[in-house]
Order: sequence, then structure tokens, then C-alpha cells
Amino acid sequence: MDAIAALGLTKSYDGKTNALSELTLSVPRGGVCGFLGPNGAGKTTTVKLLTGLLRPTSGESSVLGLSPVREPEKVHAVCGVMTETAKMYGQMTGLQNLLFFAQTADVPAQTARERAEQLLKRLDLWDVRDKPAGKYSTGMMQRLSLARALIHNPQVLFLDEPTSGLDPESAQAVNELIAMLAGKNGVTVFLCTHQLRYAQDICDTYVILSRGQALLRGDFDSLCASAGCRTKAGVRLGEGETLPGFERNGAWWEAELSSEDEMPELLKRLIGEGRSVYEARLIRPTLEDVYFSCFRDREVPA
Amino acid sequence: MKLFSEGENRRKWLTPGERAVMQKDFNEIWKVRMVRNTLILVPALLVVILPVVYLLMIWFVPPERMNGVEQMMKLVPPDLRGYFSARQSLFYLMENVVCPMFFLMIPLMVSTVTAACSFVGEKERGTIETLLLTPLRVRSLFKAKVFGCALVSLIVTGISFFAFLVVVGIGDLLLKMPFFLNWNWIVMLLVVSPSLTLFGVIFMVLVSGRSKSYMESMQLSGYVVLPLVLLMIGQFTGLFQLDALILLAIGAGVFVLDFILGGISARSFTPEKLMK
Repeated sequence: MDAIAALGLTKSYDGKTNALSELTLSVPRGGVCGFLGPNGAGKTTTVKLLTGLLRPTSGESSVLGLSPVREPEKVHAVCGVMTETAKMYGQMTGLQNLLFFAQTADVPAQTARERAEQLLKRLDLWDVRDKPAGKYSTGMMQRLSLARALIHNPQVLFLDEPTSGLDPESAQAVNELIAMLAGKNGVTVFLCTHQLRYAQDICDTYVILSRGQALLRGDFDSLCASAGCRTKAGVRLGEGETLPGFERNGAWWEAELSSEDEMPELLKRLIGEGRSVYEARLIRPTLEDVYFSCFRDREVPA
Repeated sequence: MKLFSEGENRRKWLTPGERAVMQKDFNEIWKVRMVRNTLILVPALLVVILPVVYLLMIWFVPPERMNGVEQMMKLVPPDLRGYFSARQSLFYLMENVVCPMFFLMIPLMVSTVTAACSFVGEKERGTIETLLLTPLRVRSLFKAKVFGCALVSLIVTGISFFAFLVVVGIGDLLLKMPFFLNWNWIVMLLVVSPSLTLFGVIFMVLVSGRSKSYMESMQLSGYVVLPLVLLMIGQFTGLFQLDALILLAIGAGVFVLDFILGGISARSFTPEKLMK
């Protein structure tokens, strides 16, 4: 059974334009899905639909087999949700906030306290645990929100821009925690992010969304194939040398390969031809390449 | 065995999560200075300060030197006119015509202020979404919040009544009058004020769907006090006199209204509408 599934999920706020159109996706248990797209693409709408905060105009979805429309409270019991718009209580301290949300999730008092302390320490909030959350910096508040989403030990985690507004150290701490949860604890993660480099490190599947429509979906290799991004061979030759069939990129000559297996043959050929090969490398496409190629293609008028 | 079943019932009445929300609301309501001031100052003004000032006035100023006393005397029931002196009659009018309306403003104002803080304030601060993401059913949230606000209002109303009892009791002793508590007051305390408490909370839940800020909702809540003001004017002009039966009918009517509006507001209490 998929941890998260959506079939033809559509949402229109005004009945005229769709904020999300016919989204179909599935994330297996323990999987980490990177949900990527520019602002206004429909990422937050998707998270709200999957967590029962919004009702879809059409289509259906499930989280661990539970319907967010019919039984949102059961969905919330098994998932932790962190969105930018879900705020913490400013009058309550960080610790009080966590203990309150643990109570709403029926976590026994002793377990709640232990878990809250563990999360506060892990997210570097221990020293400010007794300070009203209203006095926290943006980054602290963001980390407290993440701690809140984790307080009841969820099996599925929906994270909408968990590192926006965080300094590099905090962002790294948050990213490490997410990676640890996904890796060791087997938590399924649905991650909306703009941090493409980081997403590539921890996600195993992706959906690239634009104007409410999924442009690409699948694992990284299938994304590369769909976007037409291939591995390139890069060669640095001696001064003044040229390489027919290759494109010049600074000091390097580059050409696309059908597969990485072509590289040894290519090098043998170049050396056989007596060329002075100073350096050679495989240039694999990154998620950024795929992402920008995807949007570049769409900008070209039909 | 009996204790166990009582415990079971209590658990069904309010779940730990619902109790947590109620407790959180109590703390929040108390921490907002404006709300706290309303909970303390409004009742103090209506049932302590104004009656004390009035008592001092009729105690120290001879009735013949006051304007409009004759006009006011007409409001005293005919069978009591010969029984009370002018000073006693003035105090009787305060106890039975002026103060009841002041007293009824307390549950109404306290419930609207607490509900504004609990419902609209939560929306304004962006915490309603976080609350909706908890494993509590939306109905449970609604129940916990309505109960919490109503409980605060009932407690404040109860304390206010006790304070009023003391102030007016002293007045009755000083003026050698019979103790003021009559059927009108009993109906007001036990029927009308709880019905108004519920009305204030439910009205604010309905308003919360439309207003985006606490201040905006408080402005709208001014309208709910209007019927009480009209009742007071009606009594003063001699248009009608409220007796226990009429008050009972009013209380029952408001309860019916609460029931209908409560159903409507519970249906409109959905995540989508709350996050608009």
C-alpha cells in the first residue's frame, strides 16, 4: 500500500481556474517525495488537500489508506504537517506548545515530555524552551513548528518549505533531522522545497509542478529522461586543440553521451588519435538541470 | 464499579484533547489584557460600582431634591407604592428595573469577548490551522471552544451575581427593605443568563466566519447588546414590565434560538471556511 496516493486531484477556489489540476501521484511507505515548483504552483494546496484542510473539487487521495476528506482526524493522527501558515501559540513557551499539541494527539504525559525535550535539544531550542514562542526568531519558530509536527511520532511527514527563513546552520540541522527520520525511522516524507540540491540528496521520487499541473514525476533517472537531460563527457585538451562533434564550454569540450559506458571508449579513441587529454570527467545532470530544463522548455512558444 | 462508570462518563463528556484545548483557551483568554480587563472591569462597573454609587446617592441626597423622582415612582408596582418610602422605592427600582439589564449584559458581553478571543483571535493569529491539523475532530474543537467560553462566562456571571448579592444586600439592610431576591432574579440567573451566554458564544462563532480581526468582531458584537438596551428603555418608559413568566419565555426563546444558530454555526465550522 502506498503511504500517499492521489488520483486526479483537482482544486479550484473560485470555480474558474484550477489551483491544482488532475494530480496523480503515489509515494511508497518510507519514500521521500520532493514536490517542486515555483511559488503559486499549487504545492501548498496539495499539502492542504492531502491533509484534509481543503476539500478537493474532484479526484481523491489517501494517506496510509485513510481518506483526508472523510476522516481527517485519523490522517492527522498518523501524519505530521508543517506549513508556513500553521503558526504556534505566541503566548505559550516552546515547551508548553509542544506539550499542548502532544495532549491533543493523546500522547501520554511522560512520553510527551520526553519527546518534547528530545526534539527541543535536537533542533537547538533547548535553551529557549521556557521563552514565549512569540519572542522566537523566524528560524526558531520554524524549528518549533517542525518539532510540533514530530511530537506524536508520525509515520508520514508533510513539510512545506521547512527550511525557508533559516540560517545555513539551522537549515542543515533541519535537513539532517529529516534525512534521519526518512532513513533510520522509515518515515514517509512529502517535501515541498525550493532547495533543489538538498532535495536531490534525500528524495527518491519527485513531482515538478507548474501552475497546478504536474509537468514531470518519477525517480531521478526517469525525470532526466523525460526532460532530455543526459550525462555529458567533458574533456580538457591541450592549448589550441579542437574536438569535432563537441561543444566548447570554457576550457572544456563537452558532448552528450547515450550512456556512461561510452566514456572509456571515448577516452581510448581520443588518446588513440594522439590528442593531449589533460582532464576528463563525466558531467551528470543535477535536479537543478532537470528543473530548469523543464521550465525552459515550457517558455518556448508552441 | 460505580466510580469506574463515572470516570467513563467523564471521559465521554470531554476527551483529554478537548480538555487540553479548553485549558489552553482559558490561559489565552486570561493572558490577553483587553479580554482580562473586560472580564473584571465590566462586571465590577455594572454590578458593584454603579449600584454603590446609586446607593450612596439615594442615601445622601434627599429624594425631594432629585429630578424626575415622581415620574420614576410610577414604575413601582401599585401594591408596593404605599409600602415603600421614596428612598426605598428608588432602591427597589434599581434592584428590579435597572440592575437586571445591567446584570444580563455580563453573560452577553463576557461570552462575546471570550469567544472573539477564542475563535476570531485564533484565526487572526494563524493558529487555527495548527489546531485543525491536530488529531482532534473539528466537532471536538467546536465543542471544546464553545464549552470553554461558556464556562468562563458562567463563572464570571456567578461571581458577579455574588458581588451584586453582597452590595444590594447591604443596601437592603441599610434601607430596611426586604431582601431583593425574587422569582424574576432567579429566572434571570438560572435561565436567561445561561441562554444569553450561549447566544453570545454562538453569535461570535458565526461572526468569526466573516471577520478577520478580533477588533472587527468586537465591533459587531455591539449589536447583540441592543435588544437588552431596548428592553431597558421599554421598562423605563413604562411600555411593559417584565415578570418571571415573561423572563422565562424570553430565556426559553433564546435557548431555542441558540439551538438553531448552534446547528448552523457547527455546520459552518469547517477547515475551509475557518481558513478563508
